[in-house]
Amino acid sequence: MNNDVNNATEDHITISDVVFSRGRRRIFDGISLQVPRGKIVGIMGPSGTGKTTLLRLIGGQLRPERGIVEVDGRRIPQLSRKELFDVRKSMGMLFQSGALFTDLSVFDNVAFPLRVHTDLPDDMIRDLVLIKLQSVGLRGASELFPGELSGGMNRRVALARAIALDPRLIMYDEPFAGLDPIALGVVVQLIKTLNHVFGMTSIIVSHDIHETASIADLIYVISDGKVIGSGAPQELFKEDSPRIQQFIKGLPDGPVPFHYPATDFRDQLLNRDISNHSVFR
Amino acid sequence: MLANIRHLGQYGIDLLTALGRAGSIWWQAIWRRPRLANAHLVFRQIYQLGVLSVVITVLSGFSIGAVLALQGYNQLVNYGSESALGLGVALVLVMEIGPVVSGLLFAGRAGSAVTAEIGLMKATEQLSSMEMIGVDPLQRIVAPRLWAGFISMPILALMFSVVGIWGSSLIGVDWLGVYEGAFWSTMQDGVDFHSHVLKGIIKSVVFGLVVTWIAVYQGYEAEPSSEGISRATTRTVVHSSVAVLVLDFFLTLVMFNF
Repeated sequence: MNNDVNNATEDHITISDVVFSRGRRRIFDGISLQVPRGKIVGIMGPSGTGKTTLLRLIGGQLRPERGIVEVDGRRIPQLSRKELFDVRKSMGMLFQSGALFTDLSVFDNVAFPLRVHTDLPDDMIRDLVLIKLQSVGLRGASELFPGELSGGMNRRVALARAIALDPRLIMYDEPFAGLDPIALGVVVQLIKTLNHVFGMTSIIVSHDIHETASIADLIYVISDGKVIGSGAPQELFKEDSPRIQQFIKGLPDGPVPFHYPATDFRDQLLNRDISNHSVFR
Repeated sequence: MLANIRHLGQYGIDLLTALGRAGSIWWQAIWRRPRLANAHLVFRQIYQLGVLSVVITVLSGFSIGAVLALQGYNQLVNYGSESALGLGVALVLVMEIGPVVSGLLFAGRAGSAVTAEIGLMKATEQLSSMEMIGVDPLQRIVAPRLWAGFISMPILALMFSVVGIWGSSLIGVDWLGVYEGAFWSTMQDGVDFHSHVLKGIIKSVVFGLVVTWIAVYQGYEAEPSSEGISRATTRTVVHSSVAVLVLDFFLTLVMFNF
């Protein structure tokens, strides 16, 4: 196995000096960060800072304009389409929406990666799927379809599917968003357990500070296309940079302005040109 | 003036980019060695796109055959040559109306469904998650649909023509009283497999390919929002209908030696 050589390296993922733009908007302006093997790493920052984009760069769904994205010592942007699809077998990704295949049952969704990537006999696939579903507590829901599940259940099934092939790396895109407190607790616990039991390197992209801080070994705070702070959660809380403090304490105004850039409020109110605001525009 | 030229240039660039992307999707989905393991997906799509289009195709074929018989009889009977009704109807159906109208129906019934389905899969991140599982959606989602369109379309077109001919015989022979022997024998004499039927089949194969190609491209490139998907679905029907009609003209021009 060529991977054994790479397993010796300390960092599972290395991102260095990556530049990426969407249209005219520059999302990353020379961002660099490392994800140590077997750790839980939180990537945090205000909405729209490109946290999800970062996951897509790691997964090779997007290519950077410049810079290095390395997973297990392999440079992702340089891989051919076929090599890329091979590398992805060792990655799991949990999408915010769950992204389950709506035409397949819960069971078949979890079985999907096993069926396409392995030659295992049906009864073994069945056992593996039941084990994965049991670990997210939804073995009883195996015959249901995604449309019949709640948001939290959807995400748990998606998690079972993401770990079906026992990946070495798992990426969570906003795993805590929109969950009720109980489901939230369940997901936090699951992420922690998966990391501890299977030693999966885990990346959590989130803006939920407390949940992420409670399980992450290392946190990067991203803003304006760069890493503005990093460290263990406790160190980060002590950091005196106003940007980080604003984010951690959830202050509405500060270095990151509350208002989207606009013309003067008074001028706009007094200038009764309604043409720009018509709902029929 | 300058702005107009710029817009024209932009339009040209956009068009070429779209053609290039559509070409690359097609290339990657079809020409990279089709996998036999995915055959069951092709069968499923043949059911979705082909079998489920049978009812509308058969009904339309019957109506058009019946109308052709009515109108054809009206004209032919003036010259006492109503016995040529069978020949006329069969040629028109097999060479032109069969492939073209079933192509248009296919675009409306199956093409729009393909675009909406793939567009929604994109909007709900199902395509992304498939990529991250290490499965290429071009192989798994797009390729089976392209193959299914390619296979189903000629069969639907033939069905259309056959049912149309049957419809015209019901009207022409059983109702209007054209002599049955003449109806069928002129058809048998005048319709040649190579010079008529085969050319109709070739047309329908091309239409099947083009319609599904447009449909998967529009779905795959749809803006992932409700508005984007509705626009993509509309575009599929409009583009593929126009493509069928324009291609029909050129195929006729080339194949029938004008």
